Amino acid sequence: MTGASGILGAGVDRVDGPRKVTGAARYPSDFSFENQAYASLVRATIGSGRIARIDTSAAEATSGVIAVITHANAPRLHKARAKLMTLTPPPDPPLQTGEIDHYGQYVAVVVAETQQQAAGAARLVRVEYEVEDAALSAEAPGARVETNPYHLDLKRGDVEAALRSADVLVEGTYTTSACAHNPIGLFSTVARWEAGGTLVVHDSTQNPFHVREVLAATFRMSEEDVRVLAPFVGGAFGAGLRVSPHTILAAVAARVVHRPVKIVLTRPEMFTGLGHRPDSVQQLRVGANRDGTLVAIDHEGATTASFGVNLLYPIPMGTLYAYECPNVAVRDRRVRLNIPPAAHMRAPGEAEGNFALESALDELSYALEMDPIELRLRNYAEVQPQTGGEWSSKALRDCYAVGADRFGWGDRDARIGSMRDGDWLVGYGFAGISYGHQQVKCSARARILADGRAVVSSGTTEIGVGTMTVMTQLAAEYLGLSLEDVEFTLGDTRLPEAPYVGGSGLTIALGTAIRDACLNLVQAFLDLADKDGSPLGGCRVGDVVLVDGRILRADDPTVGERFVDLLRRYDLDELAADGESSPPRGDVGTQVKSLIVSKHGHVGRKLVGASKAMVPAGAFGARFVEVRVDRALGLLRVTRVVSVIDAGRVVNEKTARSQIIGGTVQGIGMAMFEEIVTDATTGRVANATFGDYLVPVNADIPRMDVVFVGRPDPANPLGAKGVGEVGFVGIPAAIANAVYHATGRRVRSLPITIDKLL
Amino acid sequence: MMTFEYARPLDVDEAIAAVATDPLATYLAGGTTQVDLMLKDGIVSPDRVVDITRLPLGGIEHRAEAIDVGALATMEELAGDRIVAERLPFVREALLLGASVQLRNMATIGGNVLQRTRCRYFRDAAVEACNKRRPGSGCAAIAGAARMHAILGTSEHCIALHASDACVPLVALDAVVHTRGPAGERTIPFSEFHLPPGDTPEVENVLEHGELITSVEVPLLPREARSSYAKVRDRTSYEFALVSVGVAIVLADDVIRDVRIGLGGVGTVPWRARKAESLLRGGPAEPEAFRAAAAAELAPAAPVDGTAFKVELAERTLVRVLTTITEGER
Repeated sequence: MTGASGILGAGVDRVDGPRKVTGAARYPSDFSFENQAYASLVRATIGSGRIARIDTSAAEATSGVIAVITHANAPRLHKARAKLMTLTPPPDPPLQTGEIDHYGQYVAVVVAETQQQAAGAARLVRVEYEVEDAALSAEAPGARVETNPYHLDLKRGDVEAALRSADVLVEGTYTTSACAHNPIGLFSTVARWEAGGTLVVHDSTQNPFHVREVLAATFRMSEEDVRVLAPFVGGAFGAGLRVSPHTILAAVAARVVHRPVKIVLTRPEMFTGLGHRPDSVQQLRVGANRDGTLVAIDHEGATTASFGVNLLYPIPMGTLYAYECPNVAVRDRRVRLNIPPAAHMRAPGEAEGNFALESALDELSYALEMDPIELRLRNYAEVQPQTGGEWSSKALRDCYAVGADRFGWGDRDARIGSMRDGDWLVGYGFAGISYGHQQVKCSARARILADGRAVVSSGTTEIGVGTMTVMTQLAAEYLGLSLEDVEFTLGDTRLPEAPYVGGSGLTIALGTAIRDACLNLVQAFLDLADKDGSPLGGCRVGDVVLVDGRILRADDPTVGERFVDLLRRYDLDELAADGESSPPRGDVGTQVKSLIVSKHGHVGRKLVGASKAMVPAGAFGARFVEVRVDRALGLLRVTRVVSVIDAGRVVNEKTARSQIIGGTVQGIGMAMFEEIVTDATTGRVANATFGDYLVPVNADIPRMDVVFVGRPDPANPLGAKGVGEVGFVGIPAAIANAVYHATGRRVRSLPITIDKLL
Repeated sequence: MMTFEYARPLDVDEAIAAVATDPLATYLAGGTTQVDLMLKDGIVSPDRVVDITRLPLGGIEHRAEAIDVGALATMEELAGDRIVAERLPFVREALLLGASVQLRNMATIGGNVLQRTRCRYFRDAAVEACNKRRPGSGCAAIAGAARMHAILGTSEHCIALHASDACVPLVALDAVVHTRGPAGERTIPFSEFHLPPGDTPEVENVLEHGELITSVEVPLLPREARSSYAKVRDRTSYEFALVSVGVAIVLADDVIRDVRIGLGGVGTVPWRARKAESLLRGGPAEPEAFRAAAAAELAPAAPVDGTAFKVELAERTLVRVLTTITEGER
């Protein structure tokens, strides 16, 4: 069965665009209810210790204040159970104890008639603490360093021996800074308890079903009695993957005051209340032969973490799969500190690991006096290098070649500092990307109504990436309808369950589920046709084509029936079908095989070699960057970026391109500006405003060339690969490499600010 | 909720009386800083806010050798003034490199002169130690995240930066601040208007409570002068300066006849580089002289860990501006 609409791949405009630019799209903070109260949060101002005394009398005496909730009077809550190896560990329920383990931990909620009254009164809550020394650096006495925290320390071959025998060795320590997600939309929750004890929550989340799960567990309710709504979210970048404490507090406050309650976080609260990209320190050693053949890579990554939350955050994992190299070891360490829980943020771990690896390979290329692209080509991973399995598809060579051509890499004078433009030194930098594949189980529903229009549904949410548009396109394609005749509804846990919007995995997971639902729906129509003398009688889904609301026999497209005619004949208002998708078997297989090889070496390699399942591939990419550096003043400007991405089959060229452009801008932020700065004794964020925490502005962003290469990936029926994160990766290394080319200064610490280039 | 009385008088004396009679009253002009301090940061809570935007203190008057800039003239208005473009180009450059066009359309010149420091320790009520906010409580910035702080004019009690761009050329030009207050009118030389923190960081300028800036008088540069303003920052736009330099210079046969230098991003007050000026005046326009002057000006700098790099950066930026301005045609 194939549709004939031809709308896949096309740069279709966002179907939600008009709603967004006219203000008709409603974000969580746009919802208000009769009799609604407002809550403001009070945050701890110490890094470690406990509340000795909390005086709420002044706040309570303020006009309009309805309640002040603290650990002393908050209802008892229950912690949701963390699943094994989950990407979304639940938070500790807030206000259950006077113990403080990070600056910014919520210590009180003030509920008032207006937002202004709540905010004003929150400033009057007086808290006295018994202060303890906060562990805020790896060297602090209270810091807890954990080795192999994720049980994902993996290896192949004998790294130490190979490093000793290598002709050339480069090694270095690479650091990246803590970054804030900083979506424009302030995270908000509106909570409402309804008659009968059900809870309805509008929430800024990438993961509505997880919010439902956590709230149900927190209040010991059945999940059916919790409804989470989040059709539109004003950006997230990972900040909405987990449930944050303010979401629970909105529900707590609404229960306490018996009214709907709205919480809108302030910008400073966004820095401590949602999690952040943790800072990292990486040690990397790369050994190669004179001809550029990699012989060994040893890559260790350490990140900081809070004490309470077990976030899966491996950093050097990508190094295991990026290049053909017989001896590789990757290890993680986790340093527990008195900091807010970290969160996943666009390409978590992958971006950091890529920065170190692609910087080190650049260093190696200079040590070998070899072109950086040639070095990568000599170590091209034709198969997945840990297991030897076939990639489902890989067009990384095309990424290199097309990018080099469009960028004019051949014009590069490899000598350091050799290229100039007036006072400015010019540098060219390059980085490659091999991004991982991720997919989670997903479901969807498709309906065709009596008027012939289709409604396709999923409980997922639109965080701005183009989900609504792409899913509308896919449904239109699989049902043979025009885009105008398909409506995609989302953002409601009463709709079919969808996983988090993250890990570059949703388009494939949900798109495949929608495809399944559409096929099932068409089969349901064919089952109807089977019952009477329809010309479609006896047809299965594979025997028909869908055009303009008609089901036509593939063997004779002049014969068929309209959806609406079948519905009318059976006097039906609509016909509906559910669909599902699961990760390809190879996905789990690859992980297991990687572990087997790591544990059992050659024997393991032989064992897994017997299995022929292909390795589902994520996106691949190549980034080419031109920078200009004012050597005297340390000014750094990115003047050109060319990105070539193997994204498999691109479902919507426009939204996919926007993902790469947006990721590039954010990557420039990580490379040059972004850094959460904290105070040494408390962990207070010293730059928690947009005036102090710098993100790129338009003037920092050059023209960006984005090209897609590759072919449809056979690992999923869409042929697609996720593009949500790959556009972020590689930019920091490409910029750092360009800076080296321009100046001879190797910056191994992000962000690359003026002081590092003086 | 913070409540306050709001008044929007039409008469200057009425406005002055409304503030002068109430120790907790404050003026409000463009509000681009004041509203943040009151509502977002919650560190100032006046009981009366006197909105002066309806007072007749706007406009720019042109005279033969100076302009009189009304306190309520906006940054964008001053930047767009024809005489400023012709005779005070570095004032225009400094204005246009500050803030954003949206903010410049709101922000007034009087407000710019009076802007409060961006120090995040000052602007966060949760920080106990801030001598400017709570005299005697200490200074958290000195041992803290001080990248955006001052290295000149600091004291052991405060290193907060005066972050204005516009004030850099104004101090170099010997502008004059005109005020009116309960005690009448007075004129204050720009370089005497702002006060370094010393032992009293809470006192930021010489204004008495209720005293209102009515205009800023800015002398024009001689027609043969060249001027330039350079701003160094990580981000290309919309960021306060790490270092900025405003220079006006009159050359005759490669000899510096006159030079005026202001520095931004480094001082607790808009910084007049008098040492550098006196070393340069009458001397040759050559790199060695520029480097010596820059080094002398920055010699008393007292950086902390976070600001250590700014000494070198300020010297290099000053040398760069002097070099380009003496080479360039203008």
